[in-house]
Amino acid sequence: MTAESVPAADDPRRVLADLRALTRRVRLDQRMTWAALLVLAVATFAAIPFDWFGLWVNCLPDGGCQLARRGMLYYWPWAMVAAYAAIAVCYVRAARARGVGTRVMPYVITGAASTVVFPAAWVAVTVYFANHPIPEGPLPYWYFVLDRLVMPWGMIGVTLLVLAWLERNVALLLFTLAYLALVLLVLPMNFGFGPPHFGIRAGMAVPQVIAGVVLLLGALGFRAARRRRP
Amino acid sequence: MTAVAGAEGTGAAHPVTGLDEVVHQRVRLGILTITHEARRVEFGYLRTQLELTAGNLSKHLSVLEEAGLIEVEKGYEGKRGRTWITLTPAGTTALTNEIGRLKQLIARVETSGEAAED
Repeated sequence: MTAESVPAADDPRRVLADLRALTRRVRLDQRMTWAALLVLAVATFAAIPFDWFGLWVNCLPDGGCQLARRGMLYYWPWAMVAAYAAIAVCYVRAARARGVGTRVMPYVITGAASTVVFPAAWVAVTVYFANHPIPEGPLPYWYFVLDRLVMPWGMIGVTLLVLAWLERNVALLLFTLAYLALVLLVLPMNFGFGPPHFGIRAGMAVPQVIAGVVLLLGALGFRAARRRRP
Repeated sequence: MTAVAGAEGTGAAHPVTGLDEVVHQRVRLGILTITHEARRVEFGYLRTQLELTAGNLSKHLSVLEEAGLIEVEKGYEGKRGRTWITLTPAGTTALTNEIGRLKQLIARVETSGEAAED
């Protein structure tokens, strides 16, 4: 940027290119993606003991077991509020130290709203199936995806999409899509791996460990990328 | 609104006639762009990004403040004085208009270039 005034033939194009470069630099300086992922990874790991000890299991003589993951309902709403508050504080403090404002508030509001909306949807689904007979035969695949979407790991992914949009962060968008594919389509977040390879509680914990590790690796990756910036 | 160059041709006014001299100046356009994107920006950040001296940046900020395009807020963080700049609604509008006109100008140059080739 220089203090000279206007036109050469290609000047407007050059000016717009300069402005885009400035905008990009500001956006990079506003990001604390690694901190958001780290906080969510910690929240995911901290959930495991709550789920483990809060799991109600009633195994029937025919070999089938009834499960209720009560620990999650006690843990996640509070954990989410605390996590989004921590993320907001990290973003605001870092942006302030760098000399810029922050764009994180819509993300935090979305996260806070999701702590109400998603558990409510989850409880509604649970209550529905408690009072209605489960249809004969295998359940449709979309049911499992919907069930996983309204679980905490699904809602972490949905709110990360909001963060990617706010930050215009393509790398975070790609990471989030991969994370969502993992927790919605690959990992049995709702029923766990279960016997014979794992016990019921361990089977529930393993997908959570994997989701936490993925978030943690994402945090480390974004942190490393940030440190490489000149 | 001050035109920086005359209109040319007939019909619709040339986009150049709409360029605002206060906004169009490169450093000031940079200040508005950074402040718009950052929501709120500190004096030191602007100085670093735009590679300006404190005196030079202050002059440009004064021009923008007098035009009502930015607000300057001075305060302290601990014992350190800090100056924060925010865009006013008029500043946001001026920046949007300026970028729109630059895009029009590019489109116009490209159109007339294609016409000349034909």
